This record gives sequence, structure tokens and C-alpha cells, in this order.
Amino acid sequence: MPLKLFCCDECIPERQNHVYVKEEGEDTTQFLPLSNIETIPGSLSERGCSYCGAKLVIGGVIKDCIQMIHGPVGCAYDTWHTKRYPSDNDNFQLKYIWSSDTKEKHIIFGAEKQLKKAIKEAFKEFPEIKRMFVYTTCTTALIGDNPKAVCREIEEELGDVDIFVVECPGFAGVSQSKGHHELNIGWMRDKVGTLEPEITSKYTINVIGDYNIQGDTYVLQKYLDKMGIQVIAHFTGNVTYDQLRCMHRAKLNVVNCARSAGYIANELKRVYDIPRMDVDTWGFEYVKVALRKIGAFFGLEDKAEEVISEEVAKYEGKLAWYKERLKGKQICIWTGGPRLWHWTKALEDDLGMEVVAMSSKFGHQEDFEKVIARGRVGTIYIDDGNELEFFEVLESIHTDLILTGPRVGDLVKKLHIPYINGHAYHNGPYMGFEGAVNMARDMYNAIYSPMWSLAGKDPRVVDSPMWSLAGKDPSVVQEL
Amino acid sequence: MKEKIEEVTALIQEQCLWQFFSRSWDREENIEGIMTMTGKILNGDKINLVTPVDKAFYSDAKFLAADIQKKMPWISELDKSGILELVEGVKNRLLYITVKKSRNCELNLSNY
Repeated sequence: MPLKLFCCDECIPERQNHVYVKEEGEDTTQFLPLSNIETIPGSLSERGCSYCGAKLVIGGVIKDCIQMIHGPVGCAYDTWHTKRYPSDNDNFQLKYIWSSDTKEKHIIFGAEKQLKKAIKEAFKEFPEIKRMFVYTTCTTALIGDNPKAVCREIEEELGDVDIFVVECPGFAGVSQSKGHHELNIGWMRDKVGTLEPEITSKYTINVIGDYNIQGDTYVLQKYLDKMGIQVIAHFTGNVTYDQLRCMHRAKLNVVNCARSAGYIANELKRVYDIPRMDVDTWGFEYVKVALRKIGAFFGLEDKAEEVISEEVAKYEGKLAWYKERLKGKQICIWTGGPRLWHWTKALEDDLGMEVVAMSSKFGHQEDFEKVIARGRVGTIYIDDGNELEFFEVLESIHTDLILTGPRVGDLVKKLHIPYINGHAYHNGPYMGFEGAVNMARDMYNAIYSPMWSLAGKDPRVVDSPMWSLAGKDPSVVQEL
Repeated sequence: MKEKIEEVTALIQEQCLWQFFSRSWDREENIEGIMTMTGKILNGDKINLVTPVDKAFYSDAKFLAADIQKKMPWISELDKSGILELVEGVKNRLLYITVKKSRNCELNLSNY
């Protein structure tokens, strides 16, 4: 039966519709896991919330904004510093976090005055910053605050500031995916087209769905610069607020993360007739395809080939070294959604690895269509996986490595299974040619590290290999 | 021909993201535009790129046509009408899998 009910889910049989094991000859017209629907009560989901999707994933990356979180202080801390997306202005967006710090009295009497005070204080403390994102949270949405009205008042009062409000209370939607959607559609509605860019090339694009995780944007920018292509805006890696207002002037939208940012690409096509080109910017072979397609759009095929030749010459040998050592290794990808389909075939083709189980936190059925089309027969595909299911997967398959986030990462570390941070990376960037090598290196280091097995040894046991490895005299243990 | 159609469909299913755009109308537009352009490239027809969307279709089609020529040597044995029959067959198969029989509940939502 391709839809699978885990033993741990016997009391929540609805979970069967969220787990699929691909069989030979099947396609997605026969089976497609349910996804982007409410988490089933009883299932210990590891999903995030709408606010997290808007702030942590997209808005928080923008490098020249005050990021005002309208809610209790904990909401601010929980989306600060947990993802490493640097910028070329000394990482302003990573150094600071702002909160309206709402308390009980604000819940009772309203928090708009508190928000106004916090916004004005923030602009005063950072006089060089004139742009702001304001995010609503569960509490301030529930009490009916109107942050947009507050922000319009402040814009009129201060004159030289521009503020964008994202209505993304955590309870909205079923996961962080709702926050992606709110920010995309809101930005398109309120800000795109409100500023004109300086055009420096006849070849202009937006790179959509790349968040400069550990420098991904810099890698892509380098290739595009060499091809003579002007990036109007990266949505949202290493980008400024005003660059994002100019997105309507690109001739092409190149989309990497279609889950978090496909909406704005669709709207730019609908409203401004800018075509959407989906690519994979992870994966050694995939990047070649991406550059060739962008090159073909602008008639810059030769430039694309030059970049590819140069980069392949630099990194092909390194990738081959890791491939020799990684081929046949079995791995799991338990991330948000799109990385399942970006990575599964890339790891198989580039490195000879086998992806045996995949789980998506917030992917939609579109993501499962992609990953099942690209993924292997026999692989387990899970929507909104819970921890007990993860344990059961690990009992049923062999895995040499798990690519996942810090939350599930802690779980698998305790099981002494090599883990790589699939969200914020271990030592990225992971995009582009050099990124593919970085990712291979991190996976190699994880799989071949003795730490994982040593962590499972009890140092009080005399014949533990921990002692011999550390050069200690096992007799010392007698004194313990 | 049926086997050839299945072979090309399998290649596209595994490689191409354009068949999985968000809504049914996006998918239909891409499948029609890119597959028609692929047929023209494979047949060596003159291609006139007028709109930005044409150029985007051409970019994807150029890559797909090259991939087909590289992986499926039998393509060179098809004449023009054979290519057109292949392209129409693949279009129908892709529409069947990704639109008509798709289990994706979001395909026909009116907004993005």
C-alpha cells in the first residue's frame, strides 16, 4: 500500500494520507500526500508559524530595515540570530532586533500607542535607517490593533520614512507557509512599483527565493555579474528595501525557492508580464542548467558557457574527490519543503548518494508533485512529520546522514546519527558550483567523523575506544 | 510512438520544474508554449521570439531539446510529422499527469 500508516500513528489514522512510499511505475495521479492542511491533533508537529515564515525566512533578511515585531518580546528573540544570512553592510539585520514589547496592560487597553512609541524610538536610535518592516503577532492581532493606521500616521509625521506592515499572526494558516504568502502578496500590493531603479544593463532580472544563507546570494551575484546581467532585486538575500520596490522593472524573474516566493513571481507575471523561470541553484549540474537557461533568455549563451567553464575547472576535481567517498551513502532530507526536490536528484546525480526518506514541514502538494517525480522508488515521502514517525523511519531504514533543521537535528544527534543543518547550513554557501562542493565537504566530514560513534560510548567502561583514541591509560578508569 | 512519448514524459517529469507551476492555467500555458517551441527546435524551424514569455519558453525548450537529442538517439530518425506527433503526445501526457488527473487541491484556486 503506497500510502503508509506508521505504527505510532494508529490512534491518528488520518496521518496515513500524509505518508507515501513510491513504488515502481507509479506517478502522482495515483498517490499524492495531503499537505498544507491543519496538523492533526495528537501529532507532534515541528512546523513553525505564519510570523516565523514572514520574519525569519523572508523579511528579516533585508539588510537596511528596522524589523519591528509587534508583540511580546519572546517573539522577537525566537526569530533573531537563528538563521545566518549575512549582508555586505556589516550584517546590520543580524545584529539587532526590535520589539514593541507588549505586556498585559497593552492586551487590556490596546497596544497601538505602545507600537507608535516603539517605532519612533527605534527610528530615533537608528537615525540613518529610514525603512521599517512591522510584523503583527498572535497577541496584537487578537486584540484588534491596527498597525497599518499607526504606521501611516508615523510616515506622515516623520516624512522621510517608509514602513511596510505584514499581517502575519502566528495562528494564521497552518504553518510558516502562510507567512511567506502574506509577505509576498502584501509587498506586491503595497510596495512594488513605488520606486524606479537605475538601469545599468539591458539584461535585468530579479532573483526570487534566495536568502543569502551563508553567502548564497554572493555566489549567484558573481555569476550574473560576469554575464553582464543586472539584478534589480534578490528576493531577499543581501537586498535593500528600496531595491525590492523596483522589482517591476526586471525583464525576467528567476525563481529558486518557489514555495516561499513563487507567489510574487506569479503576481509579477500577472501584473507586469514578467516571465517566471524556475531553476535549481543548488546542485553542480543543476547550476549549469540554470545559467544556460538565463543565458538563452537574453542571448548570452556564450557568457553563460564562460562562467560554467571557469567554475567547473575550479571545482569539478574537488567534487569528484567527495563523490568517491560519498557514493552509495544513504541519507534523509527532513527540511521545509523545496529542498527536498532541489536536493534529491542533485545529490544522486552529483555525488551518487541515495535519498531514502524525505519529510516536509510546510510544503504544499505542488512540492510533493515535484519531489515524487524526481525522487527514487522505495523512498518514504512524509508531510508534516512528527518525532515518533521520525523514530520509526530510522528503525525501518539505514541512513548515514540526515539533512534537517536544528530542532530535529538535536533529536538525531542524540541518536548519534550524523546531521547537517539543512536550513542554515553548517559551512556554506551551498548554492552554485562552490556551494555543491561545500555541501559535499560538510556531508563527508559528518559521515566520516568518529565523534558520532564516540558520543555513544560510556567513558566509564574500560575497553571503550574513547580512551585509546585520547591516548589515556584505561587503568585510570579504575580510579573513577 | 507510445513508448517514445512515455520516455520523453519521464525525462520531463524528472527534470523540468515548469510543468509544476502553481495553478492549472500556468501549467497549461507552459506545457503548450514550451513543448510547441521544443518541437520547432527539434524540427529546425524558424523561431520568432516576440514577447518576453516567448523568450522564456524558448530558454526552457532549448535545454529540453538538447537533452532529448543527447539522451534519445532515436529522435534523429523522426521526420517532421513524427516530431509533431511526439510533441502532441507528450503535451497530452503532461496535461493528464499535472492538470487533468492531478491530485493537487490548489491547482484551481482563483488567486495565487
